[in-house]
Amino acid sequence: MKRVWVALCILGILFGGTLAHSFYMEHFVRELTTTLEESETQAEQGNWDRAAQLTQTARERWEEQRCYLHITLRHSDTDEVYTGFREVAEFIQCQEGGEYSAANAHLIAKLELLAEAEQFTIENIL
Amino acid sequence: MVIAFVRTILLYLLIIVGIRLMGKRQVGELEPSELVLALIIADLAAVPMQDFGIPLLAGIVPILTLLCVTMLISVLSMRSVKFRAIICGKPSIIVENGVLHQREMSKNRFTVDELMEELRMKGYTDISAIKYAILETNGQLSVLPFANQRPPTGQEMKMTPQENGLPLILINDGRVMEQNLQSRGYDRKWLEKQLRTHGAKEPGEVYLLTADERGQVYFAPKEERK
Repeated sequence: MKRVWVALCILGILFGGTLAHSFYMEHFVRELTTTLEESETQAEQGNWDRAAQLTQTARERWEEQRCYLHITLRHSDTDEVYTGFREVAEFIQCQEGGEYSAANAHLIAKLELLAEAEQFTIENIL
Repeated sequence: MVIAFVRTILLYLLIIVGIRLMGKRQVGELEPSELVLALIIADLAAVPMQDFGIPLLAGIVPILTLLCVTMLISVLSMRSVKFRAIICGKPSIIVENGVLHQREMSKNRFTVDELMEELRMKGYTDISAIKYAILETNGQLSVLPFANQRPPTGQEMKMTPQENGLPLILINDGRVMEQNLQSRGYDRKWLEKQLRTHGAKEPGEVYLLTADERGQVYFAPKEERK
């Protein structure tokens, strides 16, 4: 009976851990996308400095969790997000409105898809 | 490359622990659930070992999950006969009183050639000499001949042969197995006497020396290398 409890405990920990990860990813990505959307609003109003600051904040937030994200997500996905941040930052620096908008939308979509892929949903299971 | 090295060691250790927990049967005769586990586990371990773009956790989490589920299934199988029948299936009687059960054979996709092969491997060529041939859940065929086809036992012949017990290895390829020597109740002096009796000067000249519970010794000297 002891083995059953050990197995159930490990399964419970694994399930709880993976669920916590999916909740965390949802929360974390929502925080980043909100910041990036705010950055785009600022850029549309011509506040490029504020847009750059907000994008930098989002990027730093991503960098803070880089180790965790590298351990839990596919490395190609984390690399793509990192590239996306660099691209967006360059367009802001050049103040290229259209290009920035497209790159920012691409980055937001990538982040949302990343979080969505980690969610405990029937679509993802199937 | 160092990543591949470390990952290989980690996953290898994890699988060894898992297989040890499954027990010795895992290595030889596999039940269906165990076979599935063995097949999947090898594949799961290989993917993050080769592809560095996939996190190690992507291999560890499914392997741990599989091991825990298998543990639960094995405990439930031990406790419930019905559950065991669902997971492992039931033994099928292929031959009964010398008669082939063809429907049972086709149900198990067991061909006549396979049956004959299995019977030959167990020393039987005549189906009519078999009382029962049972296809076990692990795929092995158990063959029980008619009583008059069985070799007689000592009890049936009213004989009382002596038990020799398990022979223990005392010298293995020149090395003295001290623990076995002690557990059999012998010492170095006894061993040296045995060596002298068999014409050897030292343990290094002996390939195999065993002693059973009655003190009967088997001696095999080392062959001279060409």
